[in-house]
Amino acid sequence: MDIEMVRHLSDLGKLTFTDEELEKVAKDMTGIIEIMDTIKEIDISYDPIKDNHNVYLNGLREDRAMDSFPTEKILQNAVNSEKCFVVPKVVE
Amino acid sequence: MDITALKIRDMRTMLDKKEISAAELTDAYLDRIDKTDGSLESYITVTADEAKAAAVKAQQVIDDGNAGVLTGIPLAIKDNICTDGIKTTCASRILENFVPPYNATVMEKLNAEGIVMLGKTSMDEFAMGGSTQTSAFKKTKNPYDQNRVPGGSSGGSAAAVGASLCAAALGSDTGGSIRQPASFCGVTGLKPTYGRVSRYGLVAFASSLDQIGPVAKDAHDCAIILNAISGYDYHDGTSAKLDVPDFTAKIGQDIKGIKIAMPKEFYAEGIDSDVREAVENAAKWYEQQGAVIVECSMPSLKYAVAAYYLIASAEASSNLSRYDGIKYGHRSETGDSYSDLVCNSRSEGFGDEVKRRILLGNYALSSGYYDAYYGKAMALKQKIREEYAEIFKGCDVILTPTAPTVAYGINENISDPAKMYQADICTVTVNIASLPAISTTCGYDKNGMPIGMSIIGKHWDEASVIQAADAYEKQFAYQPAKI
Repeated sequence: MDIEMVRHLSDLGKLTFTDEELEKVAKDMTGIIEIMDTIKEIDISYDPIKDNHNVYLNGLREDRAMDSFPTEKILQNAVNSEKCFVVPKVVE
Repeated sequence: MDITALKIRDMRTMLDKKEISAAELTDAYLDRIDKTDGSLESYITVTADEAKAAAVKAQQVIDDGNAGVLTGIPLAIKDNICTDGIKTTCASRILENFVPPYNATVMEKLNAEGIVMLGKTSMDEFAMGGSTQTSAFKKTKNPYDQNRVPGGSSGGSAAAVGASLCAAALGSDTGGSIRQPASFCGVTGLKPTYGRVSRYGLVAFASSLDQIGPVAKDAHDCAIILNAISGYDYHDGTSAKLDVPDFTAKIGQDIKGIKIAMPKEFYAEGIDSDVREAVENAAKWYEQQGAVIVECSMPSLKYAVAAYYLIASAEASSNLSRYDGIKYGHRSETGDSYSDLVCNSRSEGFGDEVKRRILLGNYALSSGYYDAYYGKAMALKQKIREEYAEIFKGCDVILTPTAPTVAYGINENISDPAKMYQADICTVTVNIASLPAISTTCGYDKNGMPIGMSIIGKHWDEASVIQAADAYEKQFAYQPAKI
Protein backbone atom coordinates (compact mmCIF):
# COMPACT_ATOMS: atom_id res chain seq x y z
CA MET A 1 0.00 0.00 0.00
CA ASP A 2 1.53 3.33 -0.92
CA ILE A 3 1.83 6.31 1.37
CA GLU A 4 -0.78 8.33 -0.50
CA MET A 5 -3.36 5.62 0.09
CA VAL A 6 -2.45 5.49 3.78
CA ARG A 7 -2.90 9.28 3.99
CA HIS A 8 -6.30 9.01 2.28
CA LEU A 9 -7.45 6.22 4.58
CA SER A 10 -6.21 8.09 7.65
CA ASP A 11 -8.20 11.14 6.58
CA LEU A 12 -11.26 8.94 6.31
CA GLY A 13 -10.58 7.53 9.76
CA LYS A 14 -9.65 10.87 11.37
CA LEU A 15 -6.17 9.67 12.24
CA THR A 16 -2.87 11.50 11.86
CA PHE A 17 0.58 10.01 11.40
CA THR A 18 4.03 11.56 11.31
CA ASP A 19 6.00 10.98 8.11
CA GLU A 20 8.06 8.35 9.92
CA GLU A 21 4.96 6.60 11.16
CA LEU A 22 3.43 6.70 7.68
CA GLU A 23 6.34 4.69 6.28
CA LYS A 24 5.96 1.97 8.88
CA VAL A 25 2.18 1.87 8.53
CA ALA A 26 2.45 1.60 4.73
CA LYS A 27 4.81 -1.35 5.16
CA ASP A 28 2.51 -3.08 7.66
CA MET A 29 -0.54 -2.48 5.50
CA THR A 30 1.22 -3.88 2.43
CA GLY A 31 1.76 -7.18 4.25
CA ILE A 32 -1.85 -7.20 5.40
CA ILE A 33 -3.28 -6.44 1.95
CA GLU A 34 -1.26 -9.35 0.56
CA ILE A 35 -3.35 -11.67 2.70
CA MET A 36 -6.58 -9.86 1.82
CA ASP A 37 -5.75 -10.19 -1.87
CA THR A 38 -6.01 -13.99 -1.66
CA ILE A 39 -9.76 -13.58 -2.04
CA LYS A 40 -9.25 -12.32 -5.58
CA GLU A 41 -8.60 -15.96 -6.58
CA ILE A 42 -12.20 -17.02 -6.04
CA ASP A 43 -14.87 -15.92 -8.47
CA ILE A 44 -18.07 -15.50 -6.47
CA SER A 45 -20.36 -12.58 -5.85
CA TYR A 46 -22.57 -11.56 -2.99
CA ASP A 47 -26.23 -12.48 -3.35
CA PRO A 48 -28.27 -9.90 -1.42
CA ILE A 49 -31.53 -11.75 -2.01
CA LYS A 50 -30.21 -14.84 -0.24
CA ASP A 51 -29.30 -12.82 2.84
CA ASN A 52 -32.63 -11.03 2.92
CA HIS A 53 -34.38 -14.34 3.41
CA ASN A 54 -32.48 -14.71 6.67
CA VAL A 55 -32.78 -11.18 7.95
CA TYR A 56 -35.69 -10.53 10.19
CA LEU A 57 -36.49 -7.67 12.43
CA ASN A 58 -36.93 -8.81 15.99
CA GLY A 59 -39.90 -6.64 16.27
CA LEU A 60 -39.58 -2.91 16.66
CA ARG A 61 -39.55 -1.60 20.20
CA GLU A 62 -42.85 -0.44 21.62
CA ASP A 63 -43.18 3.32 21.39
CA ARG A 64 -43.49 4.04 25.08
CA ALA A 65 -41.97 6.74 27.25
CA MET A 66 -39.25 5.48 29.59
CA ASP A 67 -36.74 7.13 31.90
CA SER A 68 -33.62 8.32 30.17
CA PHE A 69 -30.21 8.62 31.80
CA PRO A 70 -29.75 11.43 34.33
CA THR A 71 -27.77 14.35 32.85
CA GLU A 72 -24.98 14.05 35.42
CA LYS A 73 -24.32 10.46 34.42
CA ILE A 74 -24.15 11.35 30.75
CA LEU A 75 -21.75 14.21 31.43
CA GLN A 76 -19.55 12.30 33.88
CA ASN A 77 -16.97 11.33 31.26
CA ALA A 78 -16.72 14.59 29.32
CA VAL A 79 -15.47 18.14 29.46
CA ASN A 80 -18.69 19.85 30.37
CA SER A 81 -20.15 23.08 31.61
CA GLU A 82 -23.67 24.10 32.61
CA LYS A 83 -25.08 20.71 31.70
CA CYS A 84 -23.61 20.80 28.18
CA PHE A 85 -20.67 19.17 26.45
CA VAL A 86 -17.96 21.71 25.71
CA VAL A 87 -16.65 21.59 22.13
CA PRO A 88 -14.36 23.80 20.03
CA LYS A 89 -16.13 26.52 18.16
CA VAL A 90 -17.41 25.10 14.87
CA VAL A 91 -19.53 27.97 13.59
CA GLU A 92 -18.23 31.41 12.80
CA MET B 1 -7.69 -27.40 50.40
CA ASP B 2 -7.19 -24.62 47.91
CA ILE B 3 -10.70 -23.27 47.51
CA THR B 4 -9.62 -21.02 44.65
CA ALA B 5 -9.02 -24.09 42.48
CA LEU B 6 -12.56 -25.43 42.92
CA LYS B 7 -15.20 -25.66 40.23
CA ILE B 8 -18.27 -23.42 40.62
CA ARG B 9 -20.49 -26.41 41.46
CA ASP B 10 -18.22 -27.52 44.29
CA MET B 11 -18.04 -23.98 45.68
CA ARG B 12 -21.84 -23.90 45.60
CA THR B 13 -22.05 -27.06 47.69
CA MET B 14 -19.52 -25.78 50.23
CA LEU B 15 -21.20 -22.37 50.48
CA ASP B 16 -24.63 -23.91 50.95
CA LYS B 17 -23.34 -26.37 53.56
CA LYS B 18 -21.63 -23.44 55.33
CA GLU B 19 -18.26 -25.16 54.96
CA ILE B 20 -16.96 -21.85 53.66
CA SER B 21 -18.43 -18.35 53.70
CA ALA B 22 -18.80 -16.00 50.75
CA ALA B 23 -16.35 -13.64 52.44
CA GLU B 24 -13.74 -16.40 52.88
CA LEU B 25 -14.05 -17.35 49.23
CA THR B 26 -13.79 -13.76 48.01
CA ASP B 27 -10.88 -13.01 50.35
CA ALA B 28 -9.06 -16.14 49.19
CA TYR B 29 -9.22 -14.87 45.60
CA LEU B 30 -8.29 -11.29 46.50
CA ASP B 31 -5.34 -12.66 48.45
CA ARG B 32 -4.21 -14.81 45.57
CA ILE B 33 -4.60 -11.91 43.12
CA ASP B 34 -2.44 -9.81 45.45
CA LYS B 35 0.30 -12.45 45.53
CA THR B 36 0.19 -13.57 41.89
CA ASP B 37 -1.16 -10.90 39.60
CA GLY B 38 1.78 -8.50 40.01
CA SER B 39 3.64 -10.64 37.50
CA LEU B 40 0.74 -12.32 35.68
CA GLU B 41 -1.08 -8.98 35.05
CA SER B 42 -4.47 -10.52 34.24
CA TYR B 43 -6.50 -7.73 35.92
CA ILE B 44 -6.62 -4.09 34.82
CA THR B 45 -8.89 -3.16 37.74
CA VAL B 46 -9.39 -5.14 40.94
CA THR B 47 -12.63 -4.14 42.67
CA ALA B 48 -11.70 -5.34 46.16
CA ASP B 49 -14.08 -3.12 48.16
CA GLU B 50 -17.02 -3.81 45.87
CA ALA B 51 -16.24 -7.53 45.93
CA LYS B 52 -16.20 -7.66 49.74
CA ALA B 53 -19.50 -5.76 49.88
CA ALA B 54 -21.04 -8.13 47.33
CA ALA B 55 -19.84 -11.10 49.36
CA VAL B 56 -21.62 -9.75 52.45
CA LYS B 57 -24.83 -9.36 50.45
CA ALA B 58 -24.44 -12.84 48.96
CA GLN B 59 -23.92 -14.37 52.41
CA GLN B 60 -27.23 -12.86 53.54
CA VAL B 61 -28.99 -14.48 50.58
CA ILE B 62 -27.30 -17.82 51.33
CA ASP B 63 -28.26 -17.59 55.02
CA ASP B 64 -31.86 -16.87 54.03
CA GLY B 65 -31.87 -20.09 52.03
CA ASN B 66 -32.39 -18.25 48.74
CA ALA B 67 -29.05 -18.89 47.06
CA GLY B 68 -29.05 -19.45 43.31
CA VAL B 69 -26.33 -21.41 41.58
CA LEU B 70 -24.06 -18.36 41.22
CA THR B 71 -24.74 -16.59 44.55
CA GLY B 72 -21.44 -15.60 46.13
CA ILE B 73 -19.34 -16.95 43.25
CA PRO B 74 -16.36 -14.68 42.43
CA LEU B 75 -16.09 -13.85 38.73
CA ALA B 76 -13.83 -11.68 36.60
CA ILE B 77 -15.22 -9.57 33.76
CA LYS B 78 -13.41 -8.67 30.53
CA ASP B 79 -12.79 -4.94 30.40
CA ASN B 80 -14.91 -4.32 27.30
CA ILE B 81 -18.10 -5.12 29.19
CA CYS B 82 -19.68 -2.02 30.71
CA THR B 83 -19.93 -1.99 34.49
CA ASP B 84 -21.85 0.92 36.00
CA GLY B 85 -19.54 3.09 38.07
CA ILE B 86 -16.50 0.88 37.46
CA LYS B 87 -13.85 1.96 34.96
CA THR B 88 -14.16 0.13 31.64
CA THR B 89 -11.15 0.77 29.43
CA CYS B 90 -11.16 -1.84 26.64
CA ALA B 91 -7.40 -1.81 27.42
CA SER B 92 -7.15 1.45 25.44
CA ARG B 93 -5.76 4.86 26.36
CA ILE B 94 -8.74 6.37 24.60
CA LEU B 95 -10.98 4.98 27.36
CA GLU B 96 -8.38 5.12 30.13
CA ASN B 97 -10.69 6.90 32.54
CA PHE B 98 -14.06 5.97 31.08
CA VAL B 99 -16.66 5.09 33.69
CA PRO B 100 -19.80 3.68 32.09
CA PRO B 101 -23.10 5.17 33.26
CA TYR B 102 -24.82 1.82 32.89
CA ASN B 103 -24.39 -1.94 33.27
CA ALA B 104 -24.22 -4.30 30.34
CA THR B 105 -27.24 -6.59 30.29
CA VAL B 106 -25.01 -9.55 31.17
CA MET B 107 -23.88 -7.64 34.29
CA GLU B 108 -27.48 -6.90 35.29
CA LYS B 109 -28.23 -10.61 34.95
CA LEU B 110 -25.15 -11.75 36.88
CA ASN B 111 -25.69 -9.15 39.61
CA ALA B 112 -29.27 -10.38 39.99
CA GLU B 113 -27.77 -13.86 40.52
CA GLY B 114 -25.65 -12.46 43.35
CA ILE B 115 -22.18 -12.93 41.88
CA VAL B 116 -19.12 -11.27 43.37
CA MET B 117 -17.22 -9.27 40.75
CA LEU B 118 -13.49 -9.40 41.52
CA GLY B 119 -12.47 -6.98 38.79
CA LYS B 120 -11.99 -6.22 35.08
CA THR B 121 -9.55 -8.27 33.10
CA SER B 122 -7.00 -7.22 30.53
CA MET B 123 -7.43 -7.79 26.82
CA ASP B 124 -6.09 -6.79 23.46
CA GLU B 125 -7.07 -3.17 22.84
CA PHE B 126 -10.69 -3.04 21.67
CA ALA B 127 -10.57 -6.85 21.39
CA MET B 128 -8.33 -6.59 18.34
CA GLY B 129 -5.64 -9.20 18.70
CA GLY B 130 -4.69 -12.72 19.67
CA SER B 131 -2.08 -12.19 22.38
CA THR B 132 -3.28 -9.52 24.88
CA GLN B 133 0.07 -7.83 24.18
CA THR B 134 -1.66 -4.83 22.56
CA SER B 135 -3.23 -3.94 25.93
CA ALA B 136 -2.29 -0.38 26.82
CA PHE B 137 -2.22 -1.28 30.52
CA LYS B 138 -1.55 -4.91 31.38
CA LYS B 139 0.23 -7.26 29.00
CA THR B 140 -0.98 -10.49 30.57
CA LYS B 141 1.27 -13.55 30.69
CA ASN B 142 0.45 -17.22 30.31
CA PRO B 143 -0.01 -18.97 33.69
CA TYR B 144 1.77 -22.08 32.35
CA ASP B 145 4.85 -20.13 31.27
CA GLN B 146 5.11 -16.42 31.97
CA ASN B 147 7.46 -15.96 29.01
CA ARG B 148 4.56 -16.82 26.73
CA VAL B 149 1.36 -15.07 25.74
CA PRO B 150 -2.02 -16.07 27.20
CA GLY B 151 -3.63 -15.62 23.80
CA GLY B 152 -6.28 -13.01 23.13
CA SER B 153 -8.18 -10.96 23.04
CA SER B 154 -9.72 -12.37 26.28
CA GLY B 155 -6.23 -13.20 27.56
CA GLY B 156 -6.77 -11.62 30.98
CA SER B 157 -9.93 -13.65 31.57
CA ALA B 158 -8.36 -16.92 30.40
CA ALA B 159 -5.16 -16.37 32.41
CA ALA B 160 -7.16 -15.45 35.52
CA VAL B 161 -9.16 -18.68 35.26
CA GLY B 162 -6.04 -20.71 34.47
CA ALA B 163 -4.23 -19.27 37.48
CA SER B 164 -7.28 -19.61 39.77
CA LEU B 165 -7.54 -15.85 40.25
CA CYS B 166 -11.33 -16.16 39.82
CA ALA B 167 -13.83 -19.02 39.72
CA ALA B 168 -14.68 -18.16 36.13
CA ALA B 169 -14.81 -15.16 33.86
CA LEU B 170 -16.62 -13.48 31.01
CA GLY B 171 -14.85 -12.90 27.73
CA SER B 172 -15.94 -11.84 24.28
CA ASP B 173 -15.36 -13.57 20.95
CA THR B 174 -15.39 -11.92 17.53
CA GLY B 175 -12.89 -14.14 15.68
CA GLY B 176 -11.81 -16.58 18.37
CA SER B 177 -11.12 -14.29 21.31
CA ILE B 178 -12.63 -16.60 23.94
CA ARG B 179 -11.64 -19.92 22.44
CA GLN B 180 -8.02 -19.26 21.52
CA PRO B 181 -6.94 -17.84 24.90
CA ALA B 182 -8.85 -20.67 26.61
CA SER B 183 -6.81 -23.06 24.50
CA PHE B 184 -3.50 -21.30 25.31
CA CYS B 185 -4.26 -21.15 29.05
CA GLY B 186 -5.54 -24.69 29.51
CA VAL B 187 -9.13 -23.77 30.40
CA THR B 188 -12.55 -24.04 28.75
CA GLY B 189 -14.14 -21.19 26.81
CA LEU B 190 -17.43 -21.05 24.97
CA LYS B 191 -18.67 -18.72 22.23
CA PRO B 192 -22.47 -18.91 22.07
CA THR B 193 -24.55 -18.79 18.89
CA TYR B 194 -24.72 -15.20 17.65
CA GLY B 195 -27.82 -13.70 19.25
CA ARG B 196 -27.87 -16.05 22.26
CA VAL B 197 -26.37 -13.45 24.64
CA SER B 198 -27.20 -9.74 24.57
CA ARG B 199 -24.48 -7.42 23.26
CA TYR B 200 -25.96 -4.41 25.07
CA GLY B 201 -23.08 -2.97 27.05
CA LEU B 202 -20.42 -4.91 25.17
CA VAL B 203 -18.19 -2.32 23.56
CA ALA B 204 -18.67 -3.03 19.89
CA PHE B 205 -15.84 -4.27 17.70
CA ALA B 206 -17.65 -6.05 14.84
CA SER B 207 -21.36 -5.97 15.50
CA SER B 208 -22.28 -8.92 13.26
CA LEU B 209 -19.68 -11.17 14.91
CA ASP B 210 -19.25 -10.16 18.59
CA GLN B 211 -20.57 -12.41 21.35
CA ILE B 212 -20.00 -12.50 25.10
CA GLY B 213 -19.30 -15.94 26.57
CA PRO B 214 -17.93 -17.76 29.61
CA VAL B 215 -14.37 -18.87 30.36
CA ALA B 216 -14.25 -21.42 33.16
CA LYS B 217 -12.43 -24.48 34.46
CA ASP B 218 -14.69 -26.83 32.50
CA ALA B 219 -17.67 -27.11 30.18
CA HIS B 220 -20.14 -27.71 32.99
CA ASP B 221 -19.16 -24.43 34.69
CA CYS B 222 -19.41 -22.69 31.29
CA ALA B 223 -22.95 -24.03 30.98
CA ILE B 224 -23.89 -22.67 34.41
CA ILE B 225 -22.74 -19.19 33.44
CA LEU B 226 -24.32 -19.41 29.99
CA ASN B 227 -27.66 -20.22 31.63
CA ALA B 228 -27.39 -16.98 33.61
CA ILE B 229 -26.33 -14.61 30.83
CA SER B 230 -28.42 -15.82 27.89
CA GLY B 231 -31.75 -14.57 26.67
CA TYR B 232 -33.62 -12.06 24.58
CA ASP B 233 -32.90 -8.43 25.42
CA TYR B 234 -35.02 -5.63 24.00
CA HIS B 235 -31.92 -3.38 24.13
CA ASP B 236 -30.19 -5.62 21.56
CA GLY B 237 -32.03 -5.88 18.25
CA THR B 238 -29.85 -8.84 17.26
CA SER B 239 -30.64 -10.90 20.35
CA ALA B 240 -32.79 -13.91 19.60
CA LYS B 241 -36.37 -14.18 20.75
CA LEU B 242 -35.81 -17.76 21.78
CA ASP B 243 -36.40 -19.45 25.11
CA VAL B 244 -33.19 -20.26 26.93
CA PRO B 245 -32.84 -24.02 27.41
CA ASP B 246 -30.92 -25.45 30.35
CA PHE B 247 -27.45 -25.77 28.89
CA THR B 248 -26.51 -28.36 31.51
CA ALA B 249 -29.39 -30.67 30.48
CA LYS B 250 -27.42 -32.94 28.14
CA ILE B 251 -24.35 -33.23 30.39
CA GLY B 252 -23.69 -36.86 31.17
CA GLN B 253 -25.93 -38.18 28.39
CA ASP B 254 -24.42 -40.97 26.33
CA ILE B 255 -22.38 -39.74 23.37
CA LYS B 256 -22.63 -43.09 21.58
CA GLY B 257 -23.76 -42.53 18.02
CA ILE B 258 -22.91 -38.81 17.98
CA LYS B 259 -21.54 -37.93 14.55
CA ILE B 260 -18.38 -35.82 14.73
CA ALA B 261 -17.13 -34.23 11.51
CA MET B 262 -13.46 -33.36 11.01
CA PRO B 263 -13.11 -31.10 7.94
CA LYS B 264 -9.76 -32.03 6.44
CA GLU B 265 -8.63 -28.47 5.77
CA PHE B 266 -8.44 -27.86 9.55
CA TYR B 267 -5.80 -30.58 9.84
CA ALA B 268 -3.56 -29.62 6.95
CA GLU B 269 0.01 -28.27 7.04
CA GLY B 270 0.17 -25.10 9.03
CA ILE B 271 -1.15 -26.93 12.09
CA ASP B 272 1.67 -27.92 14.47
CA SER B 273 2.16 -31.69 14.59
CA ASP B 274 1.73 -31.73 18.42
CA VAL B 275 -1.61 -29.98 18.05
CA ARG B 276 -2.84 -32.20 15.24
CA GLU B 277 -1.84 -35.34 17.12
CA ALA B 278 -3.61 -34.25 20.32
CA VAL B 279 -6.87 -33.44 18.53
CA GLU B 280 -6.75 -36.64 16.47
CA ASN B 281 -6.19 -38.61 19.69
CA ALA B 282 -9.26 -36.94 21.14
CA ALA B 283 -11.19 -38.01 18.03
CA LYS B 284 -10.00 -41.58 18.60
CA TRP B 285 -11.22 -41.40 22.19
CA TYR B 286 -14.65 -40.24 21.02
CA GLU B 287 -14.72 -43.12 18.53
CA GLN B 288 -13.92 -45.59 21.30
CA GLN B 289 -16.99 -44.27 23.16
CA GLY B 290 -19.17 -45.03 20.15
CA ALA B 291 -19.13 -41.69 18.36
CA VAL B 292 -18.89 -41.80 14.58
CA ILE B 293 -16.17 -39.77 12.88
CA VAL B 294 -17.25 -38.24 9.59
CA GLU B 295 -14.80 -36.98 6.98
CA CYS B 296 -15.71 -33.82 5.13
CA SER B 297 -14.29 -30.73 3.52
CA MET B 298 -14.52 -26.96 3.81
CA PRO B 299 -12.88 -25.69 0.63
CA SER B 300 -13.40 -22.01 1.53
CA LEU B 301 -11.29 -22.28 4.68
CA LYS B 302 -8.25 -20.90 2.86
CA TYR B 303 -10.06 -17.59 2.27
CA ALA B 304 -11.53 -17.39 5.76
CA VAL B 305 -8.87 -15.21 7.39
CA ALA B 306 -9.12 -12.64 4.60
CA ALA B 307 -12.93 -12.67 4.66
CA TYR B 308 -12.99 -12.30 8.43
CA TYR B 309 -10.48 -9.45 8.61
CA LEU B 310 -12.23 -7.53 5.84
CA ILE B 311 -15.68 -7.85 7.43
CA ALA B 312 -14.51 -7.31 11.01
CA SER B 313 -12.28 -4.35 10.19
CA ALA B 314 -14.97 -2.74 8.03
CA GLU B 315 -17.43 -2.93 10.91
CA ALA B 316 -14.78 -1.84 13.40
CA SER B 317 -13.83 1.23 11.37
CA SER B 318 -17.46 2.29 11.64
CA ASN B 319 -17.90 1.30 15.30
CA LEU B 320 -14.75 3.12 16.37
CA SER B 321 -15.85 6.37 14.70
CA ARG B 322 -17.65 7.22 17.93
CA TYR B 323 -14.33 7.79 19.75
CA ASP B 324 -13.81 11.49 19.20
CA GLY B 325 -13.08 12.63 22.73
CA ILE B 326 -16.13 14.87 22.81
CA LYS B 327 -18.72 13.07 24.94
CA TYR B 328 -16.33 10.60 26.57
CA GLY B 329 -12.86 9.24 26.19
CA HIS B 330 -9.47 10.83 25.79
CA ARG B 331 -9.59 14.41 24.53
CA SER B 332 -6.39 15.87 23.19
CA GLU B 333 -4.98 19.09 24.65
CA THR B 334 -4.11 20.26 21.13
CA GLY B 335 -6.20 20.96 18.05
CA ASP B 336 -7.49 24.37 17.02
CA SER B 337 -10.35 23.14 14.93
CA TYR B 338 -12.94 20.49 15.66
CA SER B 339 -11.40 18.25 13.03
CA ASP B 340 -7.88 18.62 14.42
CA LEU B 341 -9.09 18.00 17.95
CA VAL B 342 -10.82 14.80 16.92
CA CYS B 343 -7.82 13.62 14.86
CA ASN B 344 -5.41 14.32 17.67
CA SER B 345 -7.60 12.68 20.30
CA ARG B 346 -7.93 9.52 18.22
CA SER B 347 -4.28 9.39 17.19
CA GLU B 348 -3.09 9.85 20.76
CA GLY B 349 -5.62 7.41 22.20
CA PHE B 350 -5.59 4.45 19.82
CA GLY B 351 -2.77 1.90 19.67
CA ASP B 352 -1.08 0.74 16.47
CA GLU B 353 -3.14 -2.40 15.89
CA VAL B 354 -6.42 -0.51 16.28
CA LYS B 355 -5.21 2.09 13.79
CA ARG B 356 -4.24 -0.65 11.30
CA ARG B 357 -7.70 -2.18 11.53
CA ILE B 358 -9.39 1.18 11.03
CA LEU B 359 -7.28 1.74 7.91
CA LEU B 360 -8.02 -1.77 6.63
CA GLY B 361 -11.72 -1.29 7.24
CA ASN B 362 -11.73 2.04 5.44
CA TYR B 363 -9.83 0.44 2.55
CA ALA B 364 -12.32 -2.41 2.25
CA LEU B 365 -15.26 -0.01 2.20
CA SER B 366 -13.84 2.82 0.14
CA SER B 367 -14.94 3.78 -3.31
CA GLY B 368 -13.29 1.64 -5.96
CA TYR B 369 -12.40 -1.12 -3.52
CA TYR B 370 -15.77 -1.95 -1.96
CA ASP B 371 -16.80 -4.69 -4.41
CA ALA B 372 -13.40 -6.33 -4.65
CA TYR B 373 -12.88 -6.49 -0.90
CA TYR B 374 -15.95 -6.02 1.28
CA GLY B 375 -18.37 -7.32 -1.36
CA LYS B 376 -16.19 -10.38 -1.99
CA ALA B 377 -15.81 -10.98 1.75
CA MET B 378 -19.59 -10.94 2.14
CA ALA B 379 -19.86 -13.44 -0.71
CA LEU B 380 -17.34 -15.64 1.10
CA LYS B 381 -19.40 -15.30 4.26
CA GLN B 382 -22.36 -16.74 2.39
CA LYS B 383 -20.22 -19.54 0.95
CA ILE B 384 -18.76 -20.45 4.35
CA ARG B 385 -22.23 -20.56 5.88
CA GLU B 386 -23.37 -22.86 3.04
CA GLU B 387 -20.38 -25.14 3.53
CA TYR B 388 -21.12 -25.45 7.24
CA ALA B 389 -24.81 -26.14 6.50
CA GLU B 390 -23.74 -28.90 4.12
CA ILE B 391 -21.39 -30.44 6.68
CA PHE B 392 -24.05 -30.31 9.40
CA LYS B 393 -26.43 -32.32 7.19
CA GLY B 394 -24.21 -35.28 8.01
CA CYS B 395 -23.06 -34.66 11.58
CA ASP B 396 -24.02 -33.36 15.02
CA VAL B 397 -20.84 -31.48 15.89
CA ILE B 398 -17.56 -30.57 14.22
CA LEU B 399 -14.12 -31.11 15.81
CA THR B 400 -11.12 -28.92 14.97
CA PRO B 401 -7.96 -27.67 16.63
CA THR B 402 -8.62 -24.32 18.36
CA ALA B 403 -5.32 -22.83 17.17
CA PRO B 404 -2.49 -23.96 14.88
CA THR B 405 0.00 -23.79 17.74
CA VAL B 406 0.35 -23.69 21.50
CA ALA B 407 1.04 -20.37 23.23
CA TYR B 408 4.10 -18.69 21.71
CA GLY B 409 6.78 -16.46 23.23
CA ILE B 410 5.86 -12.93 24.19
CA ASN B 411 7.88 -11.10 21.56
CA GLU B 412 7.62 -13.71 18.86
CA ASN B 413 4.97 -12.46 16.41
CA ILE B 414 4.37 -8.92 17.54
CA SER B 415 6.31 -7.27 14.72
CA ASP B 416 4.45 -9.16 11.99
CA PRO B 417 0.74 -8.29 12.12
CA ALA B 418 -0.03 -10.23 8.96
CA LYS B 419 1.44 -13.42 10.44
CA MET B 420 -0.64 -13.00 13.59
CA TYR B 421 -3.79 -12.75 11.49
CA GLN B 422 -3.04 -16.14 9.87
CA ALA B 423 -3.09 -17.79 13.29
CA ASP B 424 -6.84 -17.20 13.49
CA ILE B 425 -7.56 -19.73 10.72
CA CYS B 426 -9.15 -22.29 13.06
CA THR B 427 -11.57 -19.94 14.78
CA VAL B 428 -12.87 -17.23 12.43
CA THR B 429 -15.29 -19.32 10.33
CA VAL B 430 -17.32 -20.04 13.47
CA ASN B 431 -18.02 -16.33 13.94
CA ILE B 432 -18.69 -15.81 10.24
CA ALA B 433 -21.29 -18.59 10.38
CA SER B 434 -22.71 -17.41 13.75
CA LEU B 435 -22.26 -20.90 15.24
CA PRO B 436 -21.67 -21.93 18.88
CA ALA B 437 -18.29 -23.44 19.74
CA ILE B 438 -16.38 -24.51 22.83
CA SER B 439 -12.63 -24.93 23.31
CA THR B 440 -11.33 -27.38 25.87
CA THR B 441 -7.88 -28.80 26.61
CA CYS B 442 -7.06 -32.08 24.87
CA GLY B 443 -3.36 -32.40 25.53
CA TYR B 444 -0.04 -30.78 26.43
CA ASP B 445 3.01 -30.37 24.24
CA LYS B 446 6.50 -31.51 25.19
CA ASN B 447 6.97 -28.29 27.18
CA GLY B 448 3.75 -28.81 29.10
CA MET B 449 1.87 -26.11 27.18
CA PRO B 450 -1.87 -26.77 26.79
CA ILE B 451 -3.37 -27.78 23.45
CA GLY B 452 -7.02 -26.89 22.80
CA MET B 453 -9.64 -28.54 20.63
CA SER B 454 -12.83 -26.87 19.48
CA ILE B 455 -16.23 -28.48 19.22
CA ILE B 456 -18.56 -26.55 16.93
CA GLY B 457 -22.32 -27.02 17.03
CA LYS B 458 -25.37 -26.21 14.96
CA HIS B 459 -27.08 -22.88 15.55
CA TRP B 460 -28.61 -22.76 19.07
CA ASP B 461 -27.16 -26.17 19.98
CA GLU B 462 -24.78 -25.09 22.75
CA ALA B 463 -26.10 -28.02 24.78
CA SER B 464 -24.54 -30.58 22.39
CA VAL B 465 -21.12 -28.93 22.31
CA ILE B 466 -21.18 -28.73 26.10
CA GLN B 467 -22.20 -32.39 26.32
CA ALA B 468 -19.40 -33.47 23.99
CA ALA B 469 -16.75 -31.36 25.72
CA ASP B 470 -17.85 -32.47 29.17
CA ALA B 471 -17.69 -36.15 28.20
CA TYR B 472 -14.04 -35.73 27.18
CA GLU B 473 -13.14 -33.56 30.17
CA LYS B 474 -14.41 -36.14 32.67
CA GLN B 475 -11.62 -38.55 31.69
CA PHE B 476 -8.91 -36.06 30.77
CA ALA B 477 -5.87 -35.80 33.04
CA TYR B 478 -5.56 -32.06 33.66
CA GLN B 479 -2.22 -30.56 34.49
CA PRO B 480 -3.02 -27.29 36.28
CA ALA B 481 -0.66 -24.35 35.86
CA LYS B 482 2.03 -24.36 38.54
CA ILE B 483 1.43 -20.80 39.68
